[in-house]
Amino acid sequence: MTNMYTPLHHITLPDTVADAGIVMREDKLRGHLNLRGNPEDQAFTETVAKVLGVALPLQPNSSAEIGSTCIYWLAPNEWLLLVAAGTQDQVEADLRSALMGQHFAITDISSGQTLVNLAGAKLDELMMKSTVYDCHSSHFPVGKVVQTTFAKTGATIYKCTDGSFDLVIRRSFADYFFLWLKDASEDYGLAVI
Amino acid sequence: MLHIYCPYCEEMREEEEFSYSGEAHIVRPKDPKSLTDDEWGDYLFFRTNPRGLHHEMWHHSAGCRRYFNVTRDTSTYRIYETYKIGEKPIVTGEKS
Ligand SMILES: [Zn+2]
Repeated sequence: MTNMYTPLHHITLPDTVADAGIVMREDKLRGHLNLRGNPEDQAFTETVAKVLGVALPLQPNSSAEIGSTCIYWLAPNEWLLLVAAGTQDQVEADLRSALMGQHFAITDISSGQTLVNLAGAKLDELMMKSTVYDCHSSHFPVGKVVQTTFAKTGATIYKCTDGSFDLVIRRSFADYFFLWLKDASEDYGLAVI
Repeated sequence: MLHIYCPYCEEMREEEEFSYSGEAHIVRPKDPKSLTDDEWGDYLFFRTNPRGLHHEMWHHSAGCRRYFNVTRDTSTYRIYETYKIGEKPIVTGEKS
């Protein structure tokens, strides 16, 4: 992994706030695989479930999790597989060989995006001013995943068990995203861990 | 701001997540070569642009990135229904 940099490797905060209302953590160099296939094709869904150890989430805006792998529903025939850093080549190869001859597509998009976790006491306030989507817990339960806008760019937002949000953002927008976050958190204090 | 129900995400989303994609149900001619220039130009460029009920395509560009159809009144902006690509509208303005 020499010479690999995360999209947010360059950010620094001169004075990290001790009692920050917003805490940001980049889940560095996680494996991102985009999987496409027909959800009504049982051979496809069963093969994928066998390889990953968990069934693909078929309900809109839902997700599935097993170990360090998280699967996001993106569209009726499209999923995002988030796998442990460095394992994406193996997972892709396993899926390819298991799905050989079937109608599917798998693309390694790890270098095109990154995963950022946002937590903190002021998280609700931050989400309210950053995205048009209603992130209140009554509307956004744990395990839900939505693709929407965040600071006028796109983000895939997932609610974690601990109430924090995982955001998948584009690599090319990572710097812009961070500058927005820094500005939007000014009233609350921002810590990067 | 419009509130639009995406038939694929199965929930209401803000207009900001969508982009408008023009008139729906325009069928591409099977044999373009047999068309006159007028007919081809009509297919490519000319739209009905009605005042009132309109069937149109929208793209959930910041969401699931799928196209779907919307029945909307172009003068009141009221949305009567949204439906998936390949489906037919229920609201057509024709008396049943
Ligand atoms: Zn959608």
